[in-house]
Amino acid sequence: MDNVRRQFIKGGTALVAATSLYLLHDAGAEDTPQGKVRYALLHDETKCIGCNACAEACRHTNQVPEGVARLRIERSGPYGEFPEQYYRFSRVSCQQCEQAPCVNVCPTGAAYIDDKTGIVSVNSWKCVGCQYCIAACPYHIRFINPLTHSADKCDFCKETNLRDGKQPACVEACPTGALMFGDLEDPHSNIVAALNTQPVYRTKEDLGTHPKLFRIRAKAGGITL
Amino acid sequence: MSAFHSEYLVWHWPIAFYLFLAGVSAGAMFFAVLLKHLCVKEAPHLSGYIRAACLIAPVTVMAGLGILVTDLTKPLQFWKILLFYNPTSVMSVGVMILLVYTVLMFMWIALVMRPYIDEWSELHLPWLQHITAWLSRVEPTLTGILVILSLSLGAYTGFLLSALPGYPMLNNPVLPILFLLSGLSSGAASSLLGGVLLHGNPDSREVKFIHKIEIPLILVEIVVIFTFFMGLVLTGGQSKIAAMNALGFGFWGAVFWFGILVIGLSVPLAMNLFMTATAKRRWAYVAATASCSLLGVLMLRHFILYTGQLTIA
Ligand code: SF4
Ligand code: SF4
Repeated sequence: MDNVRRQFIKGGTALVAATSLYLLHDAGAEDTPQGKVRYALLHDETKCIGCNACAEACRHTNQVPEGVARLRIERSGPYGEFPEQYYRFSRVSCQQCEQAPCVNVCPTGAAYIDDKTGIVSVNSWKCVGCQYCIAACPYHIRFINPLTHSADKCDFCKETNLRDGKQPACVEACPTGALMFGDLEDPHSNIVAALNTQPVYRTKEDLGTHPKLFRIRAKAGGITL
Repeated sequence: MSAFHSEYLVWHWPIAFYLFLAGVSAGAMFFAVLLKHLCVKEAPHLSGYIRAACLIAPVTVMAGLGILVTDLTKPLQFWKILLFYNPTSVMSVGVMILLVYTVLMFMWIALVMRPYIDEWSELHLPWLQHITAWLSRVEPTLTGILVILSLSLGAYTGFLLSALPGYPMLNNPVLPILFLLSGLSSGAASSLLGGVLLHGNPDSREVKFIHKIEIPLILVEIVVIFTFFMGLVLTGGQSKIAAMNALGFGFWGAVFWFGILVIGLSVPLAMNLFMTATAKRRWAYVAATASCSLLGVLMLRHFILYTGQLTIA
Protein backbone atom coordinates (compact mmCIF):
# COMPACT_ATOMS: atom_id res chain seq x y z
CA MET A 1 0.00 0.00 0.00
CA ASP A 2 2.82 2.38 0.91
CA ASN A 3 4.46 1.65 -2.37
CA VAL A 4 1.21 2.32 -4.18
CA ARG A 5 0.80 5.64 -2.45
CA ARG A 6 4.36 6.63 -3.24
CA GLN A 7 3.87 5.85 -6.90
CA PHE A 8 0.60 7.77 -6.94
CA ILE A 9 2.26 10.85 -5.47
CA LYS A 10 5.25 10.47 -7.78
CA GLY A 11 2.99 10.50 -10.84
CA GLY A 12 1.10 13.54 -9.65
CA THR A 13 4.24 15.47 -8.71
CA ALA A 14 5.87 14.72 -12.04
CA LEU A 15 2.85 16.14 -13.85
CA VAL A 16 2.78 19.30 -11.76
CA ALA A 17 6.52 19.80 -12.15
CA ALA A 18 6.36 19.31 -15.89
CA THR A 19 3.52 21.83 -16.18
CA SER A 20 5.31 24.46 -14.10
CA LEU A 21 8.51 24.07 -16.07
CA TYR A 22 6.55 24.38 -19.25
CA LEU A 23 4.81 27.55 -18.10
CA LEU A 24 8.14 29.02 -17.04
CA HIS A 25 10.04 28.30 -20.19
CA ASP A 26 9.22 31.55 -21.97
CA ALA A 27 8.25 33.64 -18.97
CA GLY A 28 11.08 36.11 -19.53
CA ALA A 29 10.47 36.56 -23.24
CA GLU A 30 9.97 40.12 -24.50
CA ASP A 31 6.73 40.70 -26.38
CA THR A 32 7.33 43.81 -28.45
CA PRO A 33 9.89 43.46 -31.21
CA GLN A 34 12.76 45.94 -30.82
CA GLY A 35 14.32 47.97 -33.61
CA LYS A 36 11.45 47.18 -35.93
CA VAL A 37 8.50 48.95 -37.44
CA ARG A 38 5.47 49.47 -35.21
CA TYR A 39 2.57 50.93 -37.14
CA ALA A 40 -0.08 53.05 -35.47
CA LEU A 41 -3.01 55.21 -36.51
CA LEU A 42 -4.33 58.51 -35.22
CA HIS A 43 -7.95 59.54 -35.74
CA ASP A 44 -8.49 63.25 -35.26
CA GLU A 45 -12.14 63.42 -34.24
CA THR A 46 -12.11 67.21 -34.47
CA LYS A 47 -11.58 66.94 -38.22
CA CYS A 48 -13.88 63.96 -38.85
CA ILE A 49 -17.17 64.87 -40.55
CA GLY A 50 -18.64 61.35 -40.51
CA CYS A 51 -18.77 61.03 -44.31
CA ASN A 52 -17.90 57.31 -44.28
CA ALA A 53 -15.45 57.65 -47.16
CA CYS A 54 -12.93 55.62 -45.13
CA ALA A 55 -15.36 52.75 -44.56
CA GLU A 56 -16.29 52.65 -48.26
CA ALA A 57 -12.66 52.69 -49.36
CA CYS A 58 -11.82 49.90 -46.90
CA ARG A 59 -14.62 47.69 -48.18
CA HIS A 60 -13.53 48.23 -51.76
CA THR A 61 -9.78 47.80 -51.25
CA ASN A 62 -9.96 44.76 -49.00
CA GLN A 63 -12.94 43.15 -50.73
CA VAL A 64 -14.97 43.01 -47.53
CA PRO A 65 -18.36 41.40 -48.26
CA GLU A 66 -21.65 43.13 -47.45
CA GLY A 67 -23.09 42.47 -44.02
CA VAL A 68 -19.73 42.63 -42.23
CA ALA A 69 -17.20 45.46 -41.91
CA ARG A 70 -13.62 46.03 -40.88
CA LEU A 71 -14.26 49.68 -40.25
CA ARG A 72 -17.30 51.70 -39.19
CA ILE A 73 -17.77 55.29 -38.09
CA GLU A 74 -20.06 55.52 -35.12
CA ARG A 75 -22.10 58.69 -34.69
CA SER A 76 -23.26 59.92 -31.30
CA GLY A 77 -25.21 62.99 -30.35
CA PRO A 78 -26.49 65.52 -31.16
CA TYR A 79 -24.89 67.44 -28.33
CA GLY A 80 -25.36 71.07 -27.35
CA GLU A 81 -28.21 73.54 -27.88
CA PHE A 82 -29.65 74.51 -31.25
CA PRO A 83 -28.21 76.15 -33.38
CA GLU A 84 -24.85 75.11 -31.89
CA GLN A 85 -25.56 71.40 -32.16
CA TYR A 86 -22.96 68.89 -33.28
CA TYR A 87 -22.35 65.16 -33.54
CA ARG A 88 -19.29 63.21 -32.51
CA PHE A 89 -17.76 60.51 -34.66
CA SER A 90 -15.57 57.70 -33.50
CA ARG A 91 -13.76 55.02 -35.40
CA VAL A 92 -14.80 51.42 -34.76
CA SER A 93 -12.10 49.05 -36.00
CA CYS A 94 -9.24 46.93 -34.71
CA GLN A 95 -7.21 48.95 -32.18
CA GLN A 96 -4.01 47.03 -33.00
CA CYS A 97 -3.38 46.12 -29.38
CA GLU A 98 0.20 45.41 -28.36
CA GLN A 99 -1.06 43.07 -25.66
CA ALA A 100 -3.79 41.64 -27.83
CA PRO A 101 -6.38 39.40 -26.14
CA CYS A 102 -7.33 37.94 -29.53
CA VAL A 103 -3.75 36.73 -30.03
CA ASN A 104 -3.52 35.33 -26.51
CA VAL A 105 -6.62 33.16 -26.81
CA CYS A 106 -6.32 31.85 -30.38
CA PRO A 107 -5.74 28.10 -30.10
CA THR A 108 -3.92 27.73 -33.40
CA GLY A 109 -1.91 30.93 -33.60
CA ALA A 110 -4.03 32.08 -36.54
CA ALA A 111 -4.41 35.40 -34.76
CA TYR A 112 -0.86 36.73 -34.50
CA ILE A 113 1.24 39.88 -34.33
CA ASP A 114 3.34 40.32 -37.43
CA ASP A 115 6.99 40.62 -36.38
CA LYS A 116 8.04 43.06 -39.08
CA THR A 117 5.22 45.59 -38.76
CA GLY A 118 3.67 45.02 -35.34
CA ILE A 119 0.32 44.61 -37.08
CA VAL A 120 -2.16 42.21 -35.48
CA SER A 121 -3.12 39.91 -38.33
CA VAL A 122 -5.13 36.79 -39.14
CA ASN A 123 -3.70 33.76 -40.93
CA SER A 124 -6.86 32.70 -42.67
CA TRP A 125 -5.56 29.21 -43.47
CA LYS A 126 -4.72 28.41 -39.85
CA CYS A 127 -8.03 29.73 -38.51
CA VAL A 128 -10.57 27.04 -37.62
CA GLY A 129 -13.36 29.46 -36.77
CA CYS A 130 -13.69 28.74 -33.06
CA GLN A 131 -14.61 32.40 -32.52
CA TYR A 132 -12.65 32.56 -29.29
CA CYS A 133 -10.87 35.71 -30.55
CA ILE A 134 -14.20 37.33 -31.39
CA ALA A 135 -15.36 36.80 -27.81
CA ALA A 136 -11.99 37.90 -26.40
CA CYS A 137 -11.65 41.20 -28.27
CA PRO A 138 -12.83 43.88 -25.83
CA TYR A 139 -13.57 46.21 -28.75
CA HIS A 140 -15.96 43.73 -30.41
CA ILE A 141 -14.70 44.42 -33.90
CA ARG A 142 -13.75 40.93 -35.11
CA PHE A 143 -16.12 38.96 -37.29
CA ILE A 144 -16.30 35.78 -39.33
CA ASN A 145 -15.84 36.56 -43.00
CA PRO A 146 -18.75 34.82 -44.75
CA LEU A 147 -16.62 34.00 -47.79
CA THR A 148 -13.52 32.56 -46.10
CA HIS A 149 -15.24 31.36 -42.89
CA SER A 150 -12.21 32.75 -41.06
CA ALA A 151 -11.95 35.47 -38.46
CA ASP A 152 -11.33 38.84 -40.09
CA LYS A 153 -10.65 42.46 -39.10
CA CYS A 154 -8.65 45.57 -39.99
CA ASP A 155 -4.96 44.88 -40.62
CA PHE A 156 -3.98 48.39 -41.75
CA CYS A 157 -4.28 47.08 -45.34
CA LYS A 158 -1.20 44.92 -44.75
CA GLU A 159 -2.06 42.57 -47.61
CA THR A 160 -3.30 45.26 -50.01
CA ASN A 161 -2.21 48.90 -49.95
CA LEU A 162 0.84 48.48 -47.69
CA ARG A 163 2.13 45.75 -49.92
CA ASP A 164 1.86 48.15 -52.85
CA GLY A 165 3.77 50.78 -50.89
CA LYS A 166 0.70 52.93 -50.32
CA GLN A 167 -0.98 54.25 -47.18
CA PRO A 168 -3.99 52.33 -45.82
CA ALA A 169 -7.13 52.87 -47.90
CA CYS A 170 -8.99 54.79 -45.20
CA VAL A 171 -6.10 57.24 -44.76
CA GLU A 172 -5.94 57.89 -48.50
CA ALA A 173 -9.69 58.33 -48.79
CA CYS A 174 -10.30 60.76 -45.94
CA PRO A 175 -11.26 64.16 -47.47
CA THR A 176 -10.43 66.16 -44.33
CA GLY A 177 -7.14 64.48 -43.47
CA ALA A 178 -8.47 63.24 -40.15
CA LEU A 179 -6.42 60.01 -40.28
CA MET A 180 -2.65 59.79 -39.83
CA PHE A 181 -0.70 56.57 -40.25
CA GLY A 182 2.91 55.97 -39.30
CA ASP A 183 5.67 54.17 -37.46
CA LEU A 184 6.00 54.64 -33.70
CA GLU A 185 9.61 53.45 -33.82
CA ASP A 186 10.60 56.30 -36.13
CA PRO A 187 11.16 59.42 -33.95
CA HIS A 188 10.87 61.71 -36.97
CA SER A 189 7.56 60.38 -38.28
CA ASN A 190 4.54 62.66 -38.47
CA ILE A 191 2.55 60.46 -36.17
CA VAL A 192 5.15 60.56 -33.39
CA ALA A 193 5.25 64.36 -33.69
CA ALA A 194 1.45 64.53 -33.57
CA LEU A 195 1.24 62.23 -30.55
CA ASN A 196 3.84 64.31 -28.74
CA THR A 197 2.16 67.65 -29.31
CA GLN A 198 -1.55 66.97 -28.94
CA PRO A 199 -3.73 65.53 -26.18
CA VAL A 200 -4.68 62.08 -27.41
CA TYR A 201 -6.61 59.22 -25.83
CA ARG A 202 -7.17 55.54 -26.40
CA THR A 203 -10.23 53.51 -25.44
CA LYS A 204 -10.42 50.82 -22.75
CA GLU A 205 -6.76 51.28 -21.85
CA ASP A 206 -7.59 50.04 -18.36
CA LEU A 207 -7.93 46.52 -19.75
CA GLY A 208 -4.19 46.46 -20.37
CA THR A 209 -4.48 46.03 -24.13
CA HIS A 210 -2.05 48.85 -25.11
CA PRO A 211 -4.00 49.84 -28.24
CA LYS A 212 -2.21 51.59 -31.11
CA LEU A 213 -5.28 53.40 -32.40
CA PHE A 214 -4.98 56.91 -30.95
CA ARG A 215 -7.72 59.51 -30.99
CA ILE A 216 -7.98 63.26 -30.59
CA ARG A 217 -11.20 64.11 -28.78
CA ALA A 218 -13.77 66.24 -30.57
CA LYS A 219 -15.59 69.06 -28.83
CA ALA A 220 -16.75 68.64 -25.27
CA GLY A 221 -20.05 66.93 -24.60
CA GLY A 222 -21.31 63.44 -24.16
CA ILE A 223 -20.99 63.53 -20.41
CA THR A 224 -24.20 62.63 -18.63
CA LEU A 225 -24.66 64.98 -15.67
CA MET B 1 -36.86 34.64 -27.28
CA SER B 2 -34.90 37.75 -26.55
CA ALA B 3 -33.19 36.17 -23.53
CA PHE B 4 -31.04 34.20 -25.98
CA HIS B 5 -30.04 37.21 -28.05
CA SER B 6 -28.02 40.21 -27.08
CA GLU B 7 -25.90 42.73 -28.87
CA TYR B 8 -22.48 41.34 -27.99
CA LEU B 9 -23.34 37.65 -27.87
CA VAL B 10 -20.64 35.55 -29.51
CA TRP B 11 -20.92 32.16 -27.87
CA HIS B 12 -24.35 30.60 -27.65
CA TRP B 13 -25.92 27.42 -26.25
CA PRO B 14 -23.69 24.75 -27.87
CA ILE B 15 -20.81 26.14 -25.81
CA ALA B 16 -22.95 25.91 -22.65
CA PHE B 17 -23.58 22.24 -23.42
CA TYR B 18 -19.90 21.68 -24.12
CA LEU B 19 -18.94 23.22 -20.77
CA PHE B 20 -21.62 21.15 -19.08
CA LEU B 21 -20.58 17.86 -20.66
CA ALA B 22 -16.87 18.37 -20.01
CA GLY B 23 -17.73 19.10 -16.36
CA VAL B 24 -19.91 16.00 -16.06
CA SER B 25 -17.15 13.84 -17.49
CA ALA B 26 -14.50 15.28 -15.19
CA GLY B 27 -16.77 14.93 -12.17
CA ALA B 28 -17.87 11.38 -13.02
CA MET B 29 -14.26 10.28 -13.45
CA PHE B 30 -13.23 11.96 -10.21
CA PHE B 31 -15.97 10.21 -8.26
CA ALA B 32 -15.32 6.90 -9.98
CA VAL B 33 -11.73 7.02 -8.72
CA LEU B 34 -12.85 8.00 -5.22
CA LEU B 35 -15.47 5.25 -5.15
CA LYS B 36 -13.01 2.63 -6.29
CA HIS B 37 -10.22 3.53 -3.91
CA LEU B 38 -12.01 4.80 -0.84
CA CYS B 39 -15.35 3.02 -0.86
CA VAL B 40 -15.75 -0.13 -2.94
CA LYS B 41 -12.13 -1.34 -3.03
CA GLU B 42 -12.84 -4.99 -4.00
CA ALA B 43 -14.41 -5.91 -7.35
CA PRO B 44 -15.18 -2.38 -8.60
CA HIS B 45 -16.49 -3.78 -11.88
CA LEU B 46 -19.55 -5.09 -10.05
CA SER B 47 -20.60 -1.73 -8.59
CA GLY B 48 -23.46 -0.20 -10.56
CA TYR B 49 -22.25 3.30 -9.71
CA ILE B 50 -18.70 2.78 -10.88
CA ARG B 51 -20.02 1.13 -14.02
CA ALA B 52 -22.31 4.07 -14.63
CA ALA B 53 -19.43 6.54 -14.16
CA CYS B 54 -17.26 4.50 -16.54
CA LEU B 55 -19.99 4.78 -19.12
CA ILE B 56 -20.90 8.42 -18.54
CA ALA B 57 -17.37 9.85 -18.46
CA PRO B 58 -16.36 8.76 -21.99
CA VAL B 59 -19.77 9.40 -23.55
CA THR B 60 -20.00 12.95 -22.21
CA VAL B 61 -16.44 13.92 -23.06
CA MET B 62 -16.84 12.63 -26.62
CA ALA B 63 -20.20 14.35 -27.02
CA GLY B 64 -18.68 17.57 -25.69
CA LEU B 65 -15.79 17.40 -28.13
CA GLY B 66 -18.24 16.63 -30.93
CA ILE B 67 -20.24 19.74 -30.09
CA LEU B 68 -17.08 21.84 -29.95
CA VAL B 69 -15.99 20.64 -33.39
CA THR B 70 -19.36 21.07 -35.09
CA ASP B 71 -19.62 24.58 -33.67
CA LEU B 72 -16.48 25.70 -35.54
CA THR B 73 -17.06 27.59 -38.76
CA LYS B 74 -14.70 25.07 -40.39
CA PRO B 75 -15.46 21.79 -38.63
CA LEU B 76 -13.39 19.72 -41.06
CA GLN B 77 -10.26 21.62 -40.16
CA PHE B 78 -10.43 20.90 -36.43
CA TRP B 79 -7.16 18.97 -36.75
CA LYS B 80 -5.37 22.30 -37.02
CA ILE B 81 -6.14 22.83 -33.32
CA LEU B 82 -4.15 19.69 -32.58
CA LEU B 83 -1.33 20.44 -34.98
CA PHE B 84 -0.67 24.09 -34.18
CA TYR B 85 -0.84 25.17 -30.71
CA ASN B 86 -0.56 28.24 -28.59
CA PRO B 87 0.62 28.03 -24.97
CA THR B 88 -1.10 31.29 -24.02
CA SER B 89 -4.49 30.05 -25.22
CA VAL B 90 -6.71 28.45 -22.59
CA MET B 91 -8.53 26.63 -25.37
CA SER B 92 -5.33 25.18 -26.77
CA VAL B 93 -4.07 24.00 -23.39
CA GLY B 94 -7.57 22.73 -22.58
CA VAL B 95 -7.72 20.63 -25.72
CA MET B 96 -4.36 19.08 -24.79
CA ILE B 97 -5.64 18.30 -21.29
CA LEU B 98 -8.80 16.88 -22.79
CA LEU B 99 -6.89 14.54 -25.09
CA VAL B 100 -4.51 13.18 -22.46
CA TYR B 101 -7.42 12.90 -20.06
CA THR B 102 -9.44 10.88 -22.57
CA VAL B 103 -6.58 8.44 -23.17
CA LEU B 104 -5.88 7.93 -19.46
CA MET B 105 -9.58 7.63 -18.78
CA PHE B 106 -9.87 4.70 -21.17
CA MET B 107 -6.82 3.07 -19.60
CA TRP B 108 -8.33 3.43 -16.15
CA ILE B 109 -11.69 2.07 -17.29
CA ALA B 110 -9.90 -0.89 -18.84
CA LEU B 111 -8.36 -1.56 -15.43
CA VAL B 112 -11.74 -1.48 -13.70
CA MET B 113 -13.18 -3.81 -16.31
CA ARG B 114 -10.08 -5.98 -16.32
CA PRO B 115 -11.87 -9.16 -15.21
CA TYR B 116 -14.13 -8.94 -18.26
CA ILE B 117 -11.31 -8.07 -20.61
CA ASP B 118 -9.10 -10.87 -19.33
CA GLU B 119 -11.92 -13.37 -19.55
CA TRP B 120 -12.65 -12.42 -23.12
CA SER B 121 -9.05 -12.11 -24.30
CA GLU B 122 -8.08 -15.49 -22.88
CA LEU B 123 -10.02 -17.05 -25.71
CA HIS B 124 -9.63 -14.46 -28.45
CA LEU B 125 -6.61 -12.22 -28.00
CA PRO B 126 -4.19 -13.62 -25.42
CA TRP B 127 -1.59 -10.87 -25.90
CA LEU B 128 -4.07 -8.30 -24.66
CA GLN B 129 -3.38 -9.64 -21.19
CA HIS B 130 0.14 -8.29 -21.33
CA ILE B 131 -1.34 -4.85 -21.73
CA THR B 132 -3.78 -5.21 -18.87
CA ALA B 133 -1.00 -6.59 -16.68
CA TRP B 134 1.16 -3.60 -17.56
CA LEU B 135 -1.74 -1.26 -16.81
CA SER B 136 -2.09 -2.89 -13.40
CA ARG B 137 1.54 -2.21 -12.64
CA VAL B 138 1.25 1.49 -13.45
CA GLU B 139 -2.18 1.87 -11.89
CA PRO B 140 -1.19 4.18 -9.00
CA THR B 141 0.69 6.56 -11.30
CA LEU B 142 -2.12 6.45 -13.82
CA THR B 143 -4.72 7.17 -11.14
CA GLY B 144 -2.75 10.07 -9.71
CA ILE B 145 -2.39 11.76 -13.08
CA LEU B 146 -6.00 11.05 -13.98
CA VAL B 147 -7.29 12.71 -10.79
CA ILE B 148 -5.22 15.83 -11.45
CA LEU B 149 -6.33 15.91 -15.09
CA SER B 150 -9.99 15.54 -14.21
CA LEU B 151 -9.72 18.43 -11.75
CA SER B 152 -7.88 20.47 -14.40
CA LEU B 153 -10.57 19.69 -16.94
CA GLY B 154 -13.27 20.83 -14.53
CA ALA B 155 -11.43 24.08 -13.85
CA TYR B 156 -10.57 24.59 -17.52
CA THR B 157 -14.25 24.97 -18.41
CA GLY B 158 -14.22 28.05 -16.16
CA PHE B 159 -10.85 29.40 -17.30
CA LEU B 160 -12.08 29.25 -20.89
CA LEU B 161 -14.61 31.97 -20.05
CA SER B 162 -12.60 33.87 -17.48
CA ALA B 163 -9.91 34.55 -20.13
CA LEU B 164 -12.28 36.96 -21.89
CA PRO B 165 -11.32 40.50 -20.80
CA GLY B 166 -14.24 42.16 -22.60
CA TYR B 167 -16.96 40.76 -20.33
CA PRO B 168 -16.57 41.79 -16.68
CA MET B 169 -18.82 39.06 -15.34
CA LEU B 170 -16.87 36.30 -17.07
CA ASN B 171 -13.45 37.82 -16.48
CA ASN B 172 -13.70 36.78 -12.86
CA PRO B 173 -11.17 34.74 -10.87
CA VAL B 174 -13.88 32.89 -8.95
CA LEU B 175 -15.47 31.47 -12.11
CA PRO B 176 -13.07 28.49 -12.56
CA ILE B 177 -13.62 27.46 -8.94
CA LEU B 178 -17.37 27.70 -9.36
CA PHE B 179 -17.30 25.63 -12.55
CA LEU B 180 -14.97 23.06 -11.01
CA LEU B 181 -17.24 22.57 -7.99
CA SER B 182 -20.44 22.46 -9.99
CA GLY B 183 -18.77 20.13 -12.50
CA LEU B 184 -17.86 17.77 -9.67
CA SER B 185 -21.37 17.80 -8.30
CA SER B 186 -22.82 17.17 -11.77
CA GLY B 187 -20.46 14.21 -12.09
CA ALA B 188 -21.60 12.86 -8.74
CA ALA B 189 -25.24 13.35 -9.70
CA SER B 190 -24.86 11.68 -13.08
CA SER B 191 -23.09 8.69 -11.49
CA LEU B 192 -25.92 8.32 -8.98
CA LEU B 193 -28.58 8.66 -11.63
CA GLY B 194 -26.81 6.25 -13.98
CA GLY B 195 -26.14 3.88 -11.09
CA VAL B 196 -29.75 3.52 -10.03
CA LEU B 197 -30.79 3.21 -13.68
CA LEU B 198 -28.28 0.36 -14.02
CA HIS B 199 -30.00 -1.32 -11.07
CA GLY B 200 -27.54 -0.23 -8.43
CA ASN B 201 -28.93 -0.55 -4.92
CA PRO B 202 -30.19 2.92 -3.87
CA ASP B 203 -29.33 2.16 -0.26
CA SER B 204 -25.76 1.01 -0.89
CA ARG B 205 -22.52 2.28 0.62
CA GLU B 206 -21.65 3.99 -2.69
CA VAL B 207 -24.72 6.21 -2.43
CA LYS B 208 -23.98 6.99 1.20
CA PHE B 209 -20.38 7.78 0.30
CA ILE B 210 -21.34 10.18 -2.51
CA HIS B 211 -24.04 11.86 -0.45
CA LYS B 212 -21.56 12.45 2.35
CA ILE B 213 -19.34 14.37 -0.07
CA GLU B 214 -22.22 16.10 -1.82
CA ILE B 215 -23.55 17.90 1.24
CA PRO B 216 -20.40 19.95 1.92
CA LEU B 217 -19.88 20.34 -1.83
CA ILE B 218 -23.26 22.04 -2.25
CA LEU B 219 -22.64 24.26 0.78
CA VAL B 220 -19.29 25.39 -0.59
CA GLU B 221 -20.88 25.96 -4.00
CA ILE B 222 -23.43 28.32 -2.45
CA VAL B 223 -20.64 30.24 -0.71
CA VAL B 224 -18.70 30.46 -3.98
CA ILE B 225 -21.74 31.75 -5.91
CA PHE B 226 -22.22 34.37 -3.20
CA THR B 227 -18.54 35.34 -3.41
CA PHE B 228 -18.75 35.48 -7.20
CA PHE B 229 -21.53 38.07 -7.19
CA MET B 230 -20.30 39.94 -4.11
CA GLY B 231 -16.96 40.35 -5.86
CA LEU B 232 -18.69 41.83 -8.91
CA VAL B 233 -20.82 44.20 -6.85
CA LEU B 234 -17.89 45.40 -4.75
CA THR B 235 -15.73 45.93 -7.83
CA GLY B 236 -18.29 48.48 -8.97
CA GLY B 237 -18.55 50.00 -12.42
CA GLN B 238 -19.42 47.65 -15.26
CA SER B 239 -18.88 44.62 -13.00
CA LYS B 240 -21.63 45.77 -10.68
CA ILE B 241 -23.91 46.54 -13.63
CA ALA B 242 -23.21 43.05 -14.99
CA ALA B 243 -24.21 41.45 -11.69
CA MET B 244 -27.38 43.55 -11.51
CA ASN B 245 -28.32 42.74 -15.10
CA ALA B 246 -27.87 39.04 -14.45
CA LEU B 247 -29.69 38.78 -11.15
CA GLY B 248 -32.46 41.31 -11.69
CA PHE B 249 -35.99 40.64 -12.83
CA GLY B 250 -36.55 38.93 -16.12
CA PHE B 251 -35.90 35.54 -17.65
CA TRP B 252 -32.35 35.00 -16.42
CA GLY B 253 -33.10 36.36 -12.97
CA ALA B 254 -35.83 33.74 -12.65
CA VAL B 255 -33.47 31.03 -13.91
CA PHE B 256 -30.97 32.02 -11.26
CA TRP B 257 -33.21 32.39 -8.23
CA PHE B 258 -35.65 29.62 -8.95
CA GLY B 259 -33.78 27.26 -11.25
CA ILE B 260 -30.26 27.36 -9.86
CA LEU B 261 -30.67 28.31 -6.21
CA VAL B 262 -33.90 26.41 -5.50
CA ILE B 263 -34.00 23.42 -7.86
CA GLY B 264 -30.28 23.02 -8.41
CA LEU B 265 -28.91 23.61 -4.92
CA SER B 266 -31.52 23.89 -2.14
CA VAL B 267 -33.67 20.91 -3.13
CA PRO B 268 -30.73 18.50 -3.49
CA LEU B 269 -29.24 19.78 -0.24
CA ALA B 270 -32.52 19.27 1.63
CA MET B 271 -33.03 15.82 0.08
CA ASN B 272 -29.47 14.79 0.93
CA LEU B 273 -29.90 15.89 4.52
CA PHE B 274 -33.27 14.16 4.74
CA MET B 275 -31.90 10.90 3.33
CA THR B 276 -28.92 11.05 5.67
CA ALA B 277 -31.09 11.77 8.70
CA THR B 278 -33.77 9.17 8.04
CA ALA B 279 -31.48 6.62 6.38
CA LYS B 280 -34.24 6.11 3.83
CA ARG B 281 -32.80 5.89 0.35
CA ARG B 282 -35.33 4.86 -2.22
CA TRP B 283 -34.83 4.62 -5.93
CA ALA B 284 -37.09 7.61 -6.59
CA TYR B 285 -35.41 9.81 -3.96
CA VAL B 286 -31.93 9.20 -5.27
CA ALA B 287 -32.97 9.63 -8.91
CA ALA B 288 -34.99 12.80 -8.27
CA THR B 289 -32.21 14.43 -6.23
CA ALA B 290 -29.63 13.65 -8.87
CA SER B 291 -31.87 14.96 -11.65
CA CYS B 292 -32.37 18.24 -9.80
CA SER B 293 -28.61 18.71 -9.38
CA LEU B 294 -27.91 17.94 -13.02
CA LEU B 295 -30.61 20.29 -14.21
CA GLY B 296 -29.26 22.98 -11.89
CA VAL B 297 -25.73 22.68 -13.28
CA LEU B 298 -26.99 22.76 -16.86
CA MET B 299 -28.94 25.91 -16.06
CA LEU B 300 -25.92 27.43 -14.33
CA ARG B 301 -23.80 26.96 -17.47
CA HIS B 302 -26.42 28.65 -19.65
CA PHE B 303 -27.03 31.39 -17.12
CA ILE B 304 -23.33 32.28 -16.81
CA LEU B 305 -22.69 32.10 -20.55
CA TYR B 306 -25.66 34.24 -21.61
CA THR B 307 -25.75 36.79 -18.81
CA GLY B 308 -21.95 36.98 -18.90
CA GLN B 309 -22.11 38.28 -22.46
CA LEU B 310 -24.88 40.75 -21.66
CA THR B 311 -22.65 43.44 -20.18
CA ILE B 312 -19.35 44.59 -21.67
CA ALA B 313 -16.38 46.32 -20.14
S1 SF4 C 1 -8.79 45.47 -31.12
FE1 SF4 C 1 -9.50 43.38 -30.87
S2 SF4 C 1 -8.89 42.39 -32.76
FE2 SF4 C 1 -7.71 44.27 -32.65
S3 SF4 C 1 -5.79 43.65 -31.65
FE3 SF4 C 1 -7.15 44.40 -30.04
S4 SF4 C 1 -8.15 42.52 -29.30
FE4 SF4 C 1 -7.25 42.01 -31.28
S1 SF4 D 1 -11.64 32.09 -34.87
FE1 SF4 D 1 -9.68 31.70 -35.93
S2 SF4 D 1 -8.37 33.43 -35.42
FE2 SF4 D 1 -10.08 33.45 -33.97
S3 SF4 D 1 -9.35 32.31 -32.18
FE3 SF4 D 1 -10.41 30.83 -33.45
S4 SF4 D 1 -8.81 29.96 -34.76
FE4 SF4 D 1 -7.95 31.84 -33.89
